[in-house]
Amino acid sequence: MTQKIKVVIMSGAEDGSSHIFNSENGDGIFGENKWTISIGRKDDNDLCLRNDTFVSRQHANLHWMEGRWWLEDCNSTNGSFIENEESFFEDRRVKGIIPVKTGQLLRVGRTWLRLEEAE
Amino acid sequence: MPPLPLKDIIISARQESHRMRHYYLGVEHLLIALLDVKGGIAAQLVQEQGLTPEYVIDAIRRKIGKGGKHRLWAGVPNTPRTDIILGIANDLAINNGRTQIEENDLLIALLEEEDNMAVRVLKALGLDIDLMLEHARSLKLPLTHSTQPFVQVDFGLDFGESDLSKEDLFLLRRMFHGYGSIRIERRLMGGYADSRLLVVTPVNVDKREDAPVVVKIGPTHEILDEVQRYESFVKGKLPPLTTRLEDRPTAPDSSDLAGIKYTLVGVPDQTPQDLRTVAKEWGGERVGAWLKKQLFPVFGRMWWRQNRPYRFETWREYDWLLPPLFTIEMIESAPLPPNAHVLKYPIRRARLKDVEYGDTVIVEHFTVHKIDREKRIMQLTAGGNTDSAQAYKIEVRGVNFDEVMYYRGEVVELIVGTVWKTRDEQLKQIVRGLSPDFDIEAAMLPFPDAIERLPNPLKIYNDVLDDYINGTLSTIHGDLHLGNIIPGPNENPALIDFEHTRDGHTLFDWATLEISLLNDLISPTIAGESWDKARTITRHLLHLQEVNDKTTDNLYLADTLAAIRSIREIVRECLYHEEHWGEYFISLLFYALRAMRWESLSLGNRRLMFWVAALAAHELRAQKYSSDGTPSPDQTDLHSKLSDSEN
Repeated sequence: MTQKIKVVIMSGAEDGSSHIFNSENGDGIFGENKWTISIGRKDDNDLCLRNDTFVSRQHANLHWMEGRWWLEDCNSTNGSFIENEESFFEDRRVKGIIPVKTGQLLRVGRTWLRLEEAE
Repeated sequence: MPPLPLKDIIISARQESHRMRHYYLGVEHLLIALLDVKGGIAAQLVQEQGLTPEYVIDAIRRKIGKGGKHRLWAGVPNTPRTDIILGIANDLAINNGRTQIEENDLLIALLEEEDNMAVRVLKALGLDIDLMLEHARSLKLPLTHSTQPFVQVDFGLDFGESDLSKEDLFLLRRMFHGYGSIRIERRLMGGYADSRLLVVTPVNVDKREDAPVVVKIGPTHEILDEVQRYESFVKGKLPPLTTRLEDRPTAPDSSDLAGIKYTLVGVPDQTPQDLRTVAKEWGGERVGAWLKKQLFPVFGRMWWRQNRPYRFETWREYDWLLPPLFTIEMIESAPLPPNAHVLKYPIRRARLKDVEYGDTVIVEHFTVHKIDREKRIMQLTAGGNTDSAQAYKIEVRGVNFDEVMYYRGEVVELIVGTVWKTRDEQLKQIVRGLSPDFDIEAAMLPFPDAIERLPNPLKIYNDVLDDYINGTLSTIHGDLHLGNIIPGPNENPALIDFEHTRDGHTLFDWATLEISLLNDLISPTIAGESWDKARTITRHLLHLQEVNDKTTDNLYLADTLAAIRSIREIVRECLYHEEHWGEYFISLLFYALRAMRWESLSLGNRRLMFWVAALAAHELRAQKYSSDGTPSPDQTDLHSKLSDSEN
């Protein structure tokens, strides 16, 4: 089954740029019952954030599984975060893997990202 | 003032980008540059809605964060979003018949795009973006009050001698702009050292009087933080008839002070009085009964009776009441000194015991809590950005703010300093200042009672910080002393001053109130400031919960002890484990140690605070060990803490 997702960069040197990942084009990796987009500073990641020194080489994964998106932190040094609905300035650190929604803001290192449905 | 051209804004934005070690030109830098223009459009629109540009700038910096130490590219390229916004601004300029982008074109473009992080920060601070856009488009700017608005200031009979500064009066006139005059009725005793709480009656030009309000004046950042805190924790949790924050704050750019107004439900011809004043008329017994029958039930449903189980290490809720863990003198960080003590979260307290004067410490990933540029001092904490209860304060002296920019809320990667004073030393110095008639190094202190000796709180506080508490979490006021409580019409309770309101340990508020009652009611009933007098009161407190207590023939003292008994009855209802009072005495120990440092208290009161801390330490020990020496459940907590930390 074809899967698509758009990741918009919301801060840093690439703020405003976006990346579309499409399983049909060979983006990401299909595993057992999931499709994974890797995020990190190294070039071999699907989403490479080379301009943020707070991003680890292999920082986080976005998974499509069980009909929804999940964010997994890969034991990164500076952490992955989601916005805290109760306190705007206290971002919530992701431990392990958590479900995320399109439209929600996520942070890896110092870079904010947003997931959008790809057209 | 003519609108600023784009090139000047870009220069300022690039400087901001350098200060933040970003080295790209982003939307956040453009907005900060716009806000930084003195008297500029963005600054005025933010001020119109009660915030200061500096406050907003710090909030944007906090959300975006500083960049790393290493620069990865040359130049300062625009981000893709910056290019889009500059494009929109260019279209706006052309549509308005101009060839160059100006200040308001850029501001409108930035607000219209609205998806950017900088505008998200404005929204999070409660700013109305549509209103800002409307005024920016029409250039309908708020009145610039360069001159003092004319509002006559009178003083009520209860106010006494005015010690309000010119700055206070200027702010009051600004807050009540449009009225003919105001009458400052009385000063309330709430608020912290730098703030003032006043009851003010506004009088219209036609001499018609409006209902009195409580005005709080204080340092801008603290007042604006209080507004944010009110929005987050207080607004939806107030009983129907009580004080509410009215309007937006007033924070003029020409002053370091800001003001807010709390409305009161008042009785005609009566100005509100705080419980500290009312208590003198009521006496302790009535105060206690009122706390139990009015304040606790009316606010309790949404506040102290939330009863959410909460297991925490003591330091999380109480460390911030103590002096800074260390005061350090900042030194060059490169190269990193060998054999330095490293302080980073989670703190290993056992390792801190070896740190002494002159040692070098490396502080990693602490948050900037306060900045005093004039004194070149910065306060760091290990807590989060917005927590009121900030643990492990570290005071850093000798900070060169011209060389490195720091902002409130910043998580500082690394600071190196030489220890100038430790917490232990500071506490001992405070007690020495009270001229003790006992050895402050002794583990047990002589006490004139059957018990004969009480534990020295200076010797045990550090270990207690590591204890686990099984308690409850509630919305708490955070500074519940008599000055912040107002018995309104029909004795309906109202609270003011929400600077420390948060979700926290339920019993914190009641320990605060007990200390307030001790200092305001009990202590003056026994004349004199000697250590013996302090011990006498402590002895009465020690026997407070005994049945048929006949410890005093002093009627005043007996009456005021009744108020403390009422507090303890409220506490009994809030204890997590029935009759496990250790949970409360931990709160009392740390609050008494805090109050002991208040220079506004008399020498006698400060001495009393030391002994109350000793009493709390004694009760804590009694709770931990039952008479046969076996550990009680609290002690079991201590063991589970040890195993937790091993894990």
